[in-house]
Amino acid sequence: MTRKWSRIAKAEYQVSTVSFRENRTRNITILYALGLIWALFLAPYIIGIMADFIIPIEILQIILINMLPGFMRAAMFFIWILILIIPLSRSLQEIKIGQWEIFLSNNVSTRDILIGTFIGRIPLYGLLVLFITPPFLVLFFLAFEVALLGQILTYLTLFLMILTTIWLANLITAAIQAKLGESSRGKDIANGVAILLAIVSIVPIYGIMFFSQHFSVILGLNVFLLFPFTWPADVISWITIHSSQIGFSVEQILAFQQILNFDLLFSTALMSIFTIAVVGIGLASADRIFTYNIGARTEQVTTITREHFVIRGIRKLAPGSFGSLVVTCFKDFFRRASNISKIAYGIILAVVLPFIMSQIMINIGDVGGFDMMALIMVGGIGMAMIGGYTFSGTAFMESKDQLWIIQSTPSGTARYVKARLVSAFIIAIPLGFIPALVMTLLSGGTLDRFLFLVAYGYVIIAGAIMFGTGVTAWNPYYEDTKSPEHQMNVIITTMGAQFTLFAPILITMFGDMAGLPFWNMIHDAVGATGMPYAFALISMISLLIVGSLALVIGVKRLSRPEI
Amino acid sequence: MAKLIRRCLLFSLEVKRMHNGVTIQTQKLSKTFGHVHAVRNLTLEVHQGTRFGFLGPNGAGKTTTVRILSGLMQQSSGTARVCGLPLDSKRNKIKAVTGLLPETPGLYSKLSAVEFLEFIGALNDRNGDSLHNRIDRLLALLGLESRQDDLLESYSSGMKQKVLIASTLLHEPELVFLDEPTARLDPSASVIVKELIEILAQATGTTFFICTHQTSFAEDVCDQIGIINEGQLVASGSVQDLISATKVKNLEEAYLQIVGGKVDREALLTWR
Repeated sequence: MTRKWSRIAKAEYQVSTVSFRENRTRNITILYALGLIWALFLAPYIIGIMADFIIPIEILQIILINMLPGFMRAAMFFIWILILIIPLSRSLQEIKIGQWEIFLSNNVSTRDILIGTFIGRIPLYGLLVLFITPPFLVLFFLAFEVALLGQILTYLTLFLMILTTIWLANLITAAIQAKLGESSRGKDIANGVAILLAIVSIVPIYGIMFFSQHFSVILGLNVFLLFPFTWPADVISWITIHSSQIGFSVEQILAFQQILNFDLLFSTALMSIFTIAVVGIGLASADRIFTYNIGARTEQVTTITREHFVIRGIRKLAPGSFGSLVVTCFKDFFRRASNISKIAYGIILAVVLPFIMSQIMINIGDVGGFDMMALIMVGGIGMAMIGGYTFSGTAFMESKDQLWIIQSTPSGTARYVKARLVSAFIIAIPLGFIPALVMTLLSGGTLDRFLFLVAYGYVIIAGAIMFGTGVTAWNPYYEDTKSPEHQMNVIITTMGAQFTLFAPILITMFGDMAGLPFWNMIHDAVGATGMPYAFALISMISLLIVGSLALVIGVKRLSRPEI
Repeated sequence: MAKLIRRCLLFSLEVKRMHNGVTIQTQKLSKTFGHVHAVRNLTLEVHQGTRFGFLGPNGAGKTTTVRILSGLMQQSSGTARVCGLPLDSKRNKIKAVTGLLPETPGLYSKLSAVEFLEFIGALNDRNGDSLHNRIDRLLALLGLESRQDDLLESYSSGMKQKVLIASTLLHEPELVFLDEPTARLDPSASVIVKELIEILAQATGTTFFICTHQTSFAEDVCDQIGIINEGQLVASGSVQDLISATKVKNLEEAYLQIVGGKVDREALLTWR
């Protein structure tokens, strides 16, 4: 008799490799072959050439010796996030409890489901390991002349860590899905949690991107010995050290011992205990996960009470039917946990981006961190990202049937989109203030600078909202944020808005290089101190124009009868 | 306000004058999706105040026809007039005088029934006390008054269907398209909907275009029937006409004879 978990594993494998369904086995085999070629030959070759070109290997060795423990922990942390949180976040956005109920009604145990799902995902994650991890490791292999056995042990350690992480991700996802699934309220909470998880994963990625040096130092702290990603990282560091053919001195090894705290044996033991514990807990608790909350789970009826003062204020300001539409959009937005998470994400971005940008300015030599032109550019990037990400297509419509209902009313689509736009403009008001305040404080600015940044920031956010709403109306989606349409809309909106902001500056600069006196004309008109403000004004106007155009095109497309 | 009411009245009179008793008139209406012919040369006339039942098997083209006639979808060829208005050039005006109940509920899960109906009212340019009174009365009629302030996410599919029916009737359309109106309703709610359709048709002259699989519902409610199969109108007439023409006892048998689908009892166990 076929074991049930193997059938589930096969189904999971077929789902995860659906893009290659025409010639699944052949294509996956080719991909594995390419992955091996990349990991064993191409990556070492390319990275070796690049390293030689940038920095001599002797100097690289000295740098990497100092960086090894911290960098390895940072790299493992990145992989941990990638494998644990991102799939978790994605699966939370698509809770399908019905699938579980079909399994359970066919007398399949939760343990079989977990094992089947886990094994079914291994081939895809194996590919991920082959393609993503070599750049992290090859430089160390080259610099420390790591022996072949050492390289193999490193990849095996990494593979073990990844398998443990996938198992853990499956277990947590199953538990959360069992708890939150079935009810739409639970699904909504899951969506909110998913976006918060994305924030948790994105902030460290920004950290690695912009503060890698400080980040490595931070991760070198003893407190990180408590985190499971540290143990395999330290095991890999020790394997690299012990199998290095450059010959570390006793003093150097003692120095590593001081940084890493635990030796190879102890780190390996911790890693193995964690793996066994996670697998054991998973197997032991599997059949209880789903039965814990069987039944109504989080089903809860929410009853609407009296409208609060903001809604009443909008009704007073716009007492007609359009005011009612704005109020509806406002209520719909704030009752979704995922939107609250997006606002939180926007606020975090609003606070974090000025810091990151000031770090970039310092890195490129501007010791003060900001000047007015930089503030405008930095502010523009940040605001466009906040407006674009937070509002582009957020819960635009729940289903195509909703669109049919709206389209079946006279000029309904255009009025609906306008109402959404107005409600987004209202919601965005505080988002304009926070980054302006952070940027003013970072640049030691004055009240007039703050007021300018508030006005500038709000107009950019409003422009990005218009642009994003237009893009979403042009390419609507009816699922949650997991859909490719939503992701494409977010990318088009943020990139498009940022490009539109800087297009005038680029045109002026290239025009100047081509002999067209745009730069001088503006300079003559407003003087040197007025230049940043002139560019701010031009950027704002261009984004508002492009945003309005996108909106008109989007609404026209959404309103037209289906062909 | 007075101006707006006057404009509405004039528009309503104009519409009534224009359609001259015929609410839906189609001429060789066709719709193709690639190589699939969803609707083929549909020629149809539905008179004012008629309760027209549009029957047909799954995928026969019923929903596509409704979407075309309500201005949501462009036909591939052919012409149509809805409430006397040409479909190609007066879509917005057609939408103002028609109501549509879609096949599956497209509700906002994070709004209450009252809020959703207020939203639909606002889309039809209505608001204020008159709208709210109407919402309260419709929800009471459909037995939802005790749950009217609960978020729609906690409603059963039947309750959602009732809210959608209320939303379809809210702006008093002249022509109402109902796509499977009683599919998710319990027997008592179905009776209310049947009565509502009959009384609205009789008292206000509202025309109903009802897509359904339920022949018993169609037999009870509709005075005219059209049967569509593979995109083509294969039979039309009153319920009695169809029963007489096919020499059977009821509409279900007439439908089965026209469309096919008699059950071969011996074949039912062959899959084992």
